[in-house]
Amino acid sequence: MSPTQEFLIKDEKVYSGALSCRGCAWSLLARHLSSILGDNTVYVVPACCFSIISGPYPLNGLKGNIVHTVFAGASATATGVRAALDRQGKADTTVVVLAGDGGTFDIGLQALSGAAARGENILYVVNNNGAYMNTGIQTSTATPYGAVTTTNPGGGYKRTWPKDLMGIIAAHNLPYAATCSLAYLDDLRRKVRKAADTRGFRLLMVDGPCPPGHKTDPALSISIARLAVETKLFPLFEIERQRYTLNYIPDKEVPVTECLKYQGRFKHLFNEENGYILEEIQEHADHYWRQLQTKAELSWNGKEKEKT
Amino acid sequence: MLEEIKSTSLAGEDKLPKYRDHEERILKGNYAAAEAARLCRVGFIPAYPITPQTTIVERLSEMVANGELDATYINMDSEHSVFAAAMGAALGGERVFTATAGQGLFYAHEVLQAISHFRLPMVVCNVGRPSIPWNIWSDQSDSLSQRDTGWIQYYGESAQEVLDTIIQSYMLSEKLNIPVMAVLDAFYQSHTSENIWVPSQKLVDAFLPPRKAGAMHIDLEHPKAFGGLVPPEHYYKFSYNAWKDARKVEALSTEIAARFARYFGRQYSNVEAVNIGPHTRLVLVTVSTITTTARGVVRNYPDVGLLKLRLFRPFPKTGVLEALRALPDDAVLANVERNFLGDAEGAIQQEMKRALFGARNLRMLDFYAGVGGKDVPPETIEKIIYQAKNDPRDISWADVD
Amino acid sequence: MIEIRGHARGGQGMVTAFEILAKVFNKLGNFHVQAFPAFGVERTGAPIQAFLRVAKNEILNRSNIYHPHLIIVFDETLLEQVPVFEGLNSQGAVLINTEKPPAFFADKAGKVFTVPATRISLELGLGSRSLPIVNAAMIGAIIRALESALEVALPVLRENVPAKPDANAEAARRAFAQVAVAGAEDDYLVRALYQPEQEMEPALVNGITSAAGESADGFQAPSWDKPLSINKTGNWRLMAPAYVTKAPPCNTNCPAGTDVRAFVRLTAEKKFDEAFELISRHNPFPGVCGRVCPHFCEQNCNRNALDEGLNVGAIERFLSSRSRGRAINPAPLLYGEKVAVVGAGPAGLTAALRLRRKGYPVTVFEALPQAGGMMRTGIPRFRLPDDVLDEEIAAIEKEGVEIRLGQKATVEGLAEAGFDAVVVSVGSHVGASIGLEQEHLATEGIGFLRGFKLFGDENGVKQGDEVAIIGGGNTAIDLGRTLLRLGAVPSIYYRRTIQEMPAIAQEVEEAMAEGVQMHFLVAPTALNKSAEGGLVLHLQDMRLGEPDASGRRRPVPIEGSVKEVQAGRVFAAIGQKYDSFVFQGLEVNPRQGRVAADKLSIPVFCAGDMAWGGTVAEAIGSGNEVAEEAHASLRGLPYHREQGQKGAVGPEDINFAYYLPSARHRQHTRLSRPKPGDFTEVTAGLDEAQLVAEAGRCLHCGECFSCGNCFNFCPDAAILVDEEGRLRIDYEYCKGCGICAEECPCSAIQFELTEEATL
Repeated sequence: MSPTQEFLIKDEKVYSGALSCRGCAWSLLARHLSSILGDNTVYVVPACCFSIISGPYPLNGLKGNIVHTVFAGASATATGVRAALDRQGKADTTVVVLAGDGGTFDIGLQALSGAAARGENILYVVNNNGAYMNTGIQTSTATPYGAVTTTNPGGGYKRTWPKDLMGIIAAHNLPYAATCSLAYLDDLRRKVRKAADTRGFRLLMVDGPCPPGHKTDPALSISIARLAVETKLFPLFEIERQRYTLNYIPDKEVPVTECLKYQGRFKHLFNEENGYILEEIQEHADHYWRQLQTKAELSWNGKEKEKT
Repeated sequence: MLEEIKSTSLAGEDKLPKYRDHEERILKGNYAAAEAARLCRVGFIPAYPITPQTTIVERLSEMVANGELDATYINMDSEHSVFAAAMGAALGGERVFTATAGQGLFYAHEVLQAISHFRLPMVVCNVGRPSIPWNIWSDQSDSLSQRDTGWIQYYGESAQEVLDTIIQSYMLSEKLNIPVMAVLDAFYQSHTSENIWVPSQKLVDAFLPPRKAGAMHIDLEHPKAFGGLVPPEHYYKFSYNAWKDARKVEALSTEIAARFARYFGRQYSNVEAVNIGPHTRLVLVTVSTITTTARGVVRNYPDVGLLKLRLFRPFPKTGVLEALRALPDDAVLANVERNFLGDAEGAIQQEMKRALFGARNLRMLDFYAGVGGKDVPPETIEKIIYQAKNDPRDISWADVD
Repeated sequence: MIEIRGHARGGQGMVTAFEILAKVFNKLGNFHVQAFPAFGVERTGAPIQAFLRVAKNEILNRSNIYHPHLIIVFDETLLEQVPVFEGLNSQGAVLINTEKPPAFFADKAGKVFTVPATRISLELGLGSRSLPIVNAAMIGAIIRALESALEVALPVLRENVPAKPDANAEAARRAFAQVAVAGAEDDYLVRALYQPEQEMEPALVNGITSAAGESADGFQAPSWDKPLSINKTGNWRLMAPAYVTKAPPCNTNCPAGTDVRAFVRLTAEKKFDEAFELISRHNPFPGVCGRVCPHFCEQNCNRNALDEGLNVGAIERFLSSRSRGRAINPAPLLYGEKVAVVGAGPAGLTAALRLRRKGYPVTVFEALPQAGGMMRTGIPRFRLPDDVLDEEIAAIEKEGVEIRLGQKATVEGLAEAGFDAVVVSVGSHVGASIGLEQEHLATEGIGFLRGFKLFGDENGVKQGDEVAIIGGGNTAIDLGRTLLRLGAVPSIYYRRTIQEMPAIAQEVEEAMAEGVQMHFLVAPTALNKSAEGGLVLHLQDMRLGEPDASGRRRPVPIEGSVKEVQAGRVFAAIGQKYDSFVFQGLEVNPRQGRVAADKLSIPVFCAGDMAWGGTVAEAIGSGNEVAEEAHASLRGLPYHREQGQKGAVGPEDINFAYYLPSARHRQHTRLSRPKPGDFTEVTAGLDEAQLVAEAGRCLHCGECFSCGNCFNFCPDAAILVDEEGRLRIDYEYCKGCGICAEECPCSAIQFELTEEATL
């Protein structure tokens, strides 16, 4: 992917003054998302950091509509909003769920699965920062293996692997789902546009830097996100009706430690006795990548693929 | 012989009333509820099946499928999602209807709070049933345990009353921006076929205007957020405003019932007094279908009256005091409870005590009856009357003690 | 009972600090304690409050603290944002984390404590640079303000901090010691701490008035529609980003002082005339430099860390050839003082042009029949065609510089001739001694090249001559390649290895490709005539020893390892020295700038090869500089020799993630053995498209090129772009996360603790 040399946001759709921590993914994601989706959009937000970031009463951080809703019910509330708009002839209005990983992988999964299976015309965007950051960094099922959170019964760090949300989502046979990184803005913006132009239930999972939660230097938010892609910890790919496309193939092998070492939540893994965990994470990342490669190879045999 | 009975019946006192612009039908209570939703031209119906409500949404699905009703009907993944979707569509400006029961209502509890605190108008039917251990029969513990969620609650005595109450409820809800729960008794009402006068669409349209875009309404031209974090000093004012509007319910409900009577010819009030006067020694306080049975029994007891509670939340204190005005101070109230909420007294006695406190010092006896769907036949009512007169105890379980 | 209220920003650790203090006071003497935050949605940077009650008897109050005895301010920037002093008890005190003295806040409270907790925490590495965690220091200060025992507090502190117990304890210790106090000398706080409350005040209960009977209408829906931008997050910032322009290594390493980055950018934008004009300001010989300069700019180009340095030479060459035949008008003469320049080499001509442009009449005196100095006499035509040099010298003349050829001037003669100042730049045209007894048997290399170029004198070299060349500089290489073209068989003997050769590496490669033999690690020890009438060169084998002053490894003889080679001719090319004729009769140390000699009647300045360095670019730089000095001297202005720019952007400052690898556009060079007599130029230039593409490879080190990264990656929408694409940081909202500086590809944003931090 070539570096951007452009001011990507022509019409800012957020107000400055967001209540996000320094170096937060949410604010940056909101800027790009809203600038692409434009005014004709309703955002549905379950409990997550963005509930706070977007401003307290009587303020609004977006130059757009936000419906704040219950933690478990974002996809359902979006279903209701969608239905109302459709009935009023506003089928061209985009309804977007903007949720965190807790509201997606955990408490919101049932409503998400329901809306996805019903084929609701909703764009679901999950900012995956790998823990309940809003309540103070508690383990979610998106929390990476080996990461420290404030709730780690039995050992001080998470000892189970995160859910493969994209796999779960792929199983719903959606028209479009993709992973995005804020370090690869051209790719992210292309995917947002593609998702916006697709009808049906679409999902974008964004790797969300969170300096307080990941124990990182805020200045490194983007660099670490880039390393997550380069190390294949967070591969960039698209799924269209269970057909996979890899969007970025790193030219060189960068070990996962290059990304993990900047994150305080993985600090303990660099103690000698935990070396095997780093090996497990590397092995897992490699295996996941090989799996994606195989799926991508199998995906388009004899099928037309609109190359992007 | 048959003809003779028929003619006697038609000529006698029980002759059914006739209403202009109505069609008389025999309908189960659940279908009456579905008819009411159709007549109110609801636009959005999120649905999830649960006994004994299911036939309401089944019927609505059928109506939408065959074009009787122009609404968006969506099979949701849970009651939580049903109510979350209802919330979204109500914010989108749609007239929303759904129905649930027991577990479903408990599951939706979180969203009930959100809807009422968002000040979103809608009408929902609850067909009362209890929780686990599994029981699907008539019981009001589900809705009565939700009486503090900020919703208006009506308890219907008959299927006709449910139909009529749903129509009135949309008007009340949309005027005050407070959601309404119309409660049916399971089976005794939901699955009981009765004579129902179904008003014409024209008549309902004349009575109930389309939902106007309220203030809590997504307006793409004037974007704003709904529900972002509200600091204490503002939240306090939100609640204050909700409190002020909740205090208007009793009077407005009465006004709407009077207006309804002018259009439809049927009279409703928040509370109803039967045989309550200076001569009355005992008053049975009832809700829903037990009322009907009790009405029958009290005819045989000149000194026993009946107080029916139709509006339960906000509790119609003014109406209750008015209803009991002529009752002597040494008379006794017998509250009949088809609910068990974990306290010594049931919900009705709790509410009656609150309403009368400082105004009337009447002795109250609490009778649990019909919990979990146990039948409440006239004998049970008679037992209650007998016991109230001869062996008054503060709290009793009819058919147990 | 004492009531303490704290104000801080989320992330500074105040809530933890108050919890620790509660534990400390409990330990200090059976106090009843109560510590709790004002419940909110805490975000790092957002203002928060915390409360602490400490009492000798039971605390019968669970509400917030509205009238504290002591107010603690963890973050000075809050003073502008939050009414921190509100409700302070009339005799109460404040404790502020600040560098300012307590007297500064005298109007805020009767008693003021201050402590530099941020500095202490930064010194001890607590928290990050952008968000130091000051709580341990503040605990120390609070203990001090309450005149309590630090030794009781420290173990509690060590037990309760999440990390770095030693540093935290040290922070508390330092803060305890550094608390400054001003105001009432009383024991109010301590008395409040120990005094039991006498009794509870009775609460007043008011009745509630009924609101029934109001109309149904009038529901005022809340509206979340005010712009969040009233929330000025700029006051969260500690470190502030700022756009800066830093020197790039191409510029700092150009001896001529050329703004390489700028003319490369102009070239990429196809603004060729502007690019040429920019070069010309410093360098009147871009065509020459484009061909013969070793290009320190390219050698130090940060792009070398990614792939290969930019081909700046090709750009110069292109711009020069493109500007041939341009209209040139002399600058007006402004001054009467006449300036003479001795020597028409690159330094002299540059100085002459520079002074002429300033408005002086300038005359250049050249001893040889052609101008150009070493460019003319030392550099062979196959590297630098005559017409390129002629054109650039002619341009100087067109600008009004008079060049007198064949005149070997002296300083005194010029003074007598009425000149007011002389620039001496006679170069180094006299070959240095090789230090052998029979040195006269060797031919002086530089003299040979001069004779051949000016007069076509082949000095008896014949087809097939075996020729030995001693030396490793550009002269040796040029000599070898010239002799090759005269049909001889040249071998170069150099005492170190190819790595240490002072000649331009590319020239060495080209010479070898053409067929010049190279012999390394040999030093001549004797030169004799052979019996056959030829010459015998005795060579000592060498090895590399320790580095010498130049940083190159010193050659050391290998004892007993000596050999002899036969050669028809031996050329010496080990360096040149200058010809002191110009100073006839005077002892002058030829250093750059004004000559200090009492006997001189007019100011004299030295420049060029004789005074500075050996490359054309260095000579040009020297000429530029001497012109400035001469001008200052003539005008009576102060003159300070500019020191070279330091701290150029290095590869470690570049974010290479934003640059794709792309191959350098190479010029084509003939690398085959040249035909005898073929002196045509060996290297061809690049075309315009290639040049523009090559210029596009520039990393823009240290200069914003509006790539958009800072804008695109700013989470806080705190970078403003005006209609012309100019960028400005919106300090009202910038939280100081540092992403812009980190993601700036070319190090054009600094991120430091600056004044903006306290805006």
